[in-house]
Amino acid sequence: MRGLAEDDKSSLLGRRITPGLRIVAIVVISIILMMVDHASTSLKPIRSTLAVATQPIQMIAELPGEMVHYLGRYFDRGQLIADNEALEQKVLLLQARLQRLASLQAENERIRALLASASSLDQNVLIARILSVSPDPYRHYIKLNKGSTDGVFVGQALVDANGIMGQVTDVTPMGSRAILITDANHGIPVEINRTGLQTIAQGSGKSSELRLPFLANNSDIQVGDLLVTSGLGGRYPAGYPVAEVTSVVHQPGDEFLEVVATPTAHLNRGREVLLVWTDNTLDPVAEAQEGNSTDQAKDDANGDSPAP
Amino acid sequence: MITERRVSGLLILSTLGGALFLAILPLPDALSAVRPALYPATVLFWVLVQPGRFGLLAAWTSGVLIDVIYGTPLGEHGLALAVAGYLVIRMRELLWSFPVWQQSVLLLPVFILYEFALFWIDGVTGAEVNQWWRWLPVATTVLVWPLWASLLERIAELEVG
Repeated sequence: MRGLAEDDKSSLLGRRITPGLRIVAIVVISIILMMVDHASTSLKPIRSTLAVATQPIQMIAELPGEMVHYLGRYFDRGQLIADNEALEQKVLLLQARLQRLASLQAENERIRALLASASSLDQNVLIARILSVSPDPYRHYIKLNKGSTDGVFVGQALVDANGIMGQVTDVTPMGSRAILITDANHGIPVEINRTGLQTIAQGSGKSSELRLPFLANNSDIQVGDLLVTSGLGGRYPAGYPVAEVTSVVHQPGDEFLEVVATPTAHLNRGREVLLVWTDNTLDPVAEAQEGNSTDQAKDDANGDSPAP
Repeated sequence: MITERRVSGLLILSTLGGALFLAILPLPDALSAVRPALYPATVLFWVLVQPGRFGLLAAWTSGVLIDVIYGTPLGEHGLALAVAGYLVIRMRELLWSFPVWQQSVLLLPVFILYEFALFWIDGVTGAEVNQWWRWLPVATTVLVWPLWASLLERIAELEVG
């Protein structure tokens, strides 16, 4: 123990512990902790408690960005007026569309009733603000300012004005964390709007790219096809736009197509998101069973789990 | 070096808080990829100069805090920081005998090991990021180490005199 003064070592039951012994203990404990944390949800409460403790520093780290945003708005009056005009026009446009939607929805409900279908078009919506994006450039997470006190729960889908953004993965009383669809660990069941073909869109880890790895060579898919949520898997409500296909490549000799799509949602812009859920989206038991959406997605794709 | 005197726990905590602030400050993607790992650098600095006060267990706890913020498996950054801290403890007499800018060279393998541990655990848990620019922070951290270490040293000297 070259260079270690005696008083540097702490003692346990009167015996000196060397750093060598201690590092072995720490490594073993860390590995066990990681395995438990990765495999089960039993450490969630600890994580939530610690997350509340780290909230202040995260809020402070957000301040400079907030200030820039606020000051920019404060001083740029012309921009504000332009924004306001653009928004007014958009509201007009959307209201015009909404008038037709009401009658269409009523018609749709009637037809569904005729079909004795259980699915409902009623969806609950909650607006949340994006507090921060992941500080780690390789993980696509965002933090939201609504938590369990506002009724946020794990598995809620996030959408913006243009499409699906992701889903809630952790909830604390005052905030929540959501994974984006582009995270490399995320898969979302989609269907091709034009043909109804079902597949899985996986995140690529790049902020504007999704991959569709499970499409056979003869699949009917073209550049420009819109992918919408299929509603399978029970996490995402059906019918929301997810991405647009930007490239379809067939490598001779490969069994599957290489399909790349760009998310329609503005994942790295915007400050507000909508949390969307239907009242029968998830029951707590099913939620406890499918802890990890990717596993779920992969199982679905391999066909070795029963359809949910 | 302020290795002989005890600095207060409050000072250590506040420098860690400052480094954490810089670590999670939102930056554009391009800048974020080269952001020096100041938080691990701060942890290793205290392990280096105040081993009696800030040891392996403290390094591990600081890492677990990062796991909570980043959402990585609990213990990932803890393990990486504890192992890096252990290396620093073993090398500390050597490190003490060099000025800070030469310490950078000695710390290069430590930061590489730190990043490698993260890379490895990411791979095992299925969150693999295998791109060369993942290793950029190692270079920037080593480059800013002399500045950062002398700054921390100056702050500590202000306190203990």
